Amino acid sequence: MLLFLLRRVGVMLVTALCLTFVVFFLTNLPAKLETLAKTQAGARISDAEVASWLDRNGYNQPMLVRYGEWLGVVPGWTREEADGTIRGRCIERMGPEGAGARCGLLQGYWGHSTRFRAPVGEVISTRLGATGWLMLWVLIVMVPMALIVGIVAGMREGSRTDRSLSTFAIASTATPEYVSGVLFIALLASSTVGLSPLLVSWGVIPGPVLFQGNARSALDQITFWNFTLPVITIALYGMGYVARITRASMTEVMTQQYIRTARLKGVSFPNIVLRHALRNALIAPFTVIMLQIPWLLNGVVIVEVLFSYPGFGWTLYEAAVNNDIELLLAASVVAVIVVLLTQLISDIGYVYLNPRIRVS
Amino acid sequence: MTMTQTGKRAVHPAARMFARECRDGRLSRREFLTRATALGVAAPTAYGLIGLAAPAARADTPQMGGEVRMQMDIKAQRDPRTWDWSELANVCRGWLEYLVHYERDGSVVPVLLESWEASDDATVFTLRVRQGVTWNNGDAFTAEHVAHNIERWADASVEGNSMAGRMGAISQDGKIRDGAIEIVDDHTLRLHLSSPDIAIIVNMADYPAAVVHPSFTGDDPVANPIGTGPYRPVRHETGIGAVIERNPDHTWWNEGNGAWLDRIEFVDLGTDPSAWIAAAEGGEIELTYQTTGDYVDIFEAIGMPASEVITAATLAVRFNQSQPPYDNVNVRRALQMAVDNETVLELGYDDRGDVAENHHVCPIHPEYAEMEPPEFDPARAAEMIAEEGLADHEFELISIDDAWQAATCDNVAAQIRAAGISIRRTILPGATFWNDWLNYPFSSTEWNMRPLGVQVLNLAYRSGVAWNEAGYANPEFDALLDEANSIADADARREVMLKLQQMMRRDGVLIQPYWRALYRNMRPNIGGAEMHPTFEVRYQHYWKS
Repeated sequence: MLLFLLRRVGVMLVTALCLTFVVFFLTNLPAKLETLAKTQAGARISDAEVASWLDRNGYNQPMLVRYGEWLGVVPGWTREEADGTIRGRCIERMGPEGAGARCGLLQGYWGHSTRFRAPVGEVISTRLGATGWLMLWVLIVMVPMALIVGIVAGMREGSRTDRSLSTFAIASTATPEYVSGVLFIALLASSTVGLSPLLVSWGVIPGPVLFQGNARSALDQITFWNFTLPVITIALYGMGYVARITRASMTEVMTQQYIRTARLKGVSFPNIVLRHALRNALIAPFTVIMLQIPWLLNGVVIVEVLFSYPGFGWTLYEAAVNNDIELLLAASVVAVIVVLLTQLISDIGYVYLNPRIRVS
Repeated sequence: MTMTQTGKRAVHPAARMFARECRDGRLSRREFLTRATALGVAAPTAYGLIGLAAPAARADTPQMGGEVRMQMDIKAQRDPRTWDWSELANVCRGWLEYLVHYERDGSVVPVLLESWEASDDATVFTLRVRQGVTWNNGDAFTAEHVAHNIERWADASVEGNSMAGRMGAISQDGKIRDGAIEIVDDHTLRLHLSSPDIAIIVNMADYPAAVVHPSFTGDDPVANPIGTGPYRPVRHETGIGAVIERNPDHTWWNEGNGAWLDRIEFVDLGTDPSAWIAAAEGGEIELTYQTTGDYVDIFEAIGMPASEVITAATLAVRFNQSQPPYDNVNVRRALQMAVDNETVLELGYDDRGDVAENHHVCPIHPEYAEMEPPEFDPARAAEMIAEEGLADHEFELISIDDAWQAATCDNVAAQIRAAGISIRRTILPGATFWNDWLNYPFSSTEWNMRPLGVQVLNLAYRSGVAWNEAGYANPEFDALLDEANSIADADARREVMLKLQQMMRRDGVLIQPYWRALYRNMRPNIGGAEMHPTFEVRYQHYWKS
């Protein structure tokens, strides 16, 4: 077990290293650095000013050296200004004693976000917290719904219930978020089209719209009114997929010999489903749900931007658009950790659900 | 012609003509109202002319208190003189004030200055600093603080300091020239310019010219909000929003004439206008920063009327006079004559602006001189082209691939074609277009607004200047322009301006179809928040009823 954990952590580190290097390489292409200089020092500065800005801020060293700086294996740059003050990567972070020191990921310095003008660690943690709330509600809505739909559909394969639920599941998973999100906004969150004007004229709702089509206010306080649409948009997409897996797993279990035996013994149908079939049928969906979590983390980009909810996906988008190098790197590290961590949980959980499997 | 009387005032005959056009559907209602009111017709009368009742008047007296939420991008702050987006300035306008303000109607009014005057040759400017202004840390505001700010603006060694270029007449070697600023007393200072520059005062209304306290050294005016204005920042998060509240510990010099709202919240909703609509529907924002295109109408449909302002931003469809056949003034004038600017505005730009008159001086410029509209005579145009022996010549009009610019040029070309002159359209992608924009024989260029009419003429039409894309070289024009540059009084300058405008028109320099309008949508209970031509958001004058 310990060896297994160590191996997993090792894989995680190597993956993070490779991924961050790729991100570092792509964000440090000369054209990208020029964009960065222009967003930082002024959109209309001349080429000479761009060069001087890059030089003054340590962007003129070889790419590998700067990657080393970011990791914390190479000492940070220092330079003496014309007026005699000494500036440097680590001096900005650690104060005067930072000259010649290393200040990177290994030393716990995640860097500075050029887009938000704040420490990366701070940005990532607040935004990750916001996404955490969104994902929590998505999981609360999605998992029970998916399991119920999948189990009910899988109980009697080929029945009318199965056919209609399967159609619903396929339709919901075949509709991407950017389609369903826009549809929901048009149907439920517009004062001129869709349901809201109707409900207002009937006097059912007091406000102009049934749901808020923009989740910005959820940052201060999450309410049913402002959080429903983003949650439903993500949950519906993931739900169809998990429901399909659950249904497949359920139908397979329902054809097993021991289910037939139980039936012949005279066990009632609800009892068969709940006592005998359910646990075995949940093994496959459990893994899939675990895999859904990292997917959710990256899949929220579209939904968070659409509903302007500033979470992790929204931050990733902002960082990419503004070529915020250190924020993008940190975001990719977080993404790797989340992916491998959920895989780890799914592997360990699998063992408990299925005694036939061992980790080592 | 008989004049009809309403009350004691006669209705301008042109307003009646516009009303007829509006009823026939040839003029939009908004356009009609803009034009009729511009002619001095009161809004209710104008509504009456097209058979409508005027909408219930908005409460015009500001009310104290309340909170307003506005959609606007919140960008990472930096040193004001290096600001490159108006939004950066707008957040800080509540505490960082300006020496002068540029108004919606094109005038420049004193703010932290009480008045200023220029010498006859516009080389010496005397600035009188407003008395009784204090910083919110208790210091008194003096002429020395003004001098300090002007020195900051003139420092070209700061990367991205865009004020340095505007202070050229008082700088030398990238910093303030010795002796350029003379502090006369605590509230008076004098600027000694090396050459006449009547734009120097109006440049101080530009958004990077926020006046900061001498103690300001850092690059974040939000973290260190010392200013003269009545508000202070509470929260400022890049990409998310900002909250500003009235400063209870500070007595504003202009108390009683503003600072109505208790609190203003800016919400950054990204660049997608459909997200703004969704937020407005749920009441998360009450006004937009700027609305463009079809979204103006969509916002109106959800109960947020638009506020419109005409700017001096435009599209110059210019000829390059150094290249045949455009070196022939008759060819240029013929092509001008083949195009009806009003049609271009309506079909090429969706009627979102005002008709222009082919001389690149806008009615909102203080020195604009009124002129008769340009001649439109397609038959004569074709004749003139034939007289020049170009009946079989195929002209070519080049434009960038940007949607509205291409549509405008398409319409210009269509009208020239309709006159019986052969013309071809070429659309170039942005990446290649700008490499050679100065040298195309016949092409269109987007020009942003400058507050003074002479500023664009100096930049674009003086012989031999860097951006003279028309290749216009007329010594007589240059001499007149020099004269205009040294007349600080707009009314006096107008006489020279008329000659300059006539000369531009006579020499067939460009086809300039329209002035672009800017829009903002807001709830009807928001007051004082009309759209500003240079995007200023002076929330100290906003109110809510």
